[in-house]
Amino acid sequence: MDKLAEKLKADAAVIDVQISDELDRRIAASLQGIEPERPAEASPRPRPAVFWWASSLSGVAAALAVIAIVNSQSPTVEPPVAVAETSPVAEILTPVIDWKTESAMLTQPLQRELEDLKSDIKKAEEKVKQDIGL
Amino acid sequence: MTDELQLINAAKAGSADAFADLVLCYRIRLLRFLLTRCASYADAEDALQDTLMAAYRYINSYDPRWRFSTWIYRIAIRNAQKIRSENVVEFGDLGDEECDPMLLCIKASETSNLWLSARRVLNDDVFTATWLRYAEDMSISDISRALDRSDSWTKVNLLRARKALDIEMNKENNGNEAYG
Repeated sequence: MDKLAEKLKADAAVIDVQISDELDRRIAASLQGIEPERPAEASPRPRPAVFWWASSLSGVAAALAVIAIVNSQSPTVEPPVAVAETSPVAEILTPVIDWKTESAMLTQPLQRELEDLKSDIKKAEEKVKQDIGL
Repeated sequence: MTDELQLINAAKAGSADAFADLVLCYRIRLLRFLLTRCASYADAEDALQDTLMAAYRYINSYDPRWRFSTWIYRIAIRNAQKIRSENVVEFGDLGDEECDPMLLCIKASETSNLWLSARRVLNDDVFTATWLRYAEDMSISDISRALDRSDSWTKVNLLRARKALDIEMNKENNGNEAYG
């Protein structure tokens, strides 16, 4: 041991400390008042690294399979919508019928309304016949 | 199985008496160390009490691969830091040297104690490393564990501390010769 180490050791030893009776009692009392904490329950055993590799690889494989299946399906080709050829001449020759229609006011029970409508049609037919001289 | 290990196992099982026996030889050494780190004798006593209580409470976390002294000093260092931060007293700022507990405990023997110089020229961690090395004969690896530092940090700072203390020791010797 060199001179410095000897001096430091000797100087540490001459620092005069004592455990007083009061401190001794305090320490004893405080130790009696506590209990060692139980160690925390062991955490679940870690899985081997191979497990993580296997799960990662199977996940990647599954993802690739899904992508492959989706891409391999031929897309459903919808037939082109046939566009009706319309002749501008036909449009001009087709007479425009001006329908005078009225919405039926259904205030009676449906059966009654139907009968009224039938009688109206009948009257209209007779009137047409009279007009054309049949 | 060593006596110390038997006492540790008994303390782990909840025997406060076994723990008291276990730390019996450490109490004076711990108090001496804490005295160098605390601002008053009462603080050092409180730090010792807290250290022993914490050591007993967490005895089940003690790893027998470590030396017990390393483990208990680690707790003591933390307690000393905690008490010092609570009191916010820096040794360099002590206005009244009569209040310095280390000085009071040295005065009974001699005043040219190199640890007083060490405390003045070394920072906290380096002082502690030096104390553990030269007052407690701890190995480099145990000091590193106690301080939560690398081995290289401990080696480098112990070397620097030695150089600084060599200068201080020479100053003291030259002063003594001059006055002698």
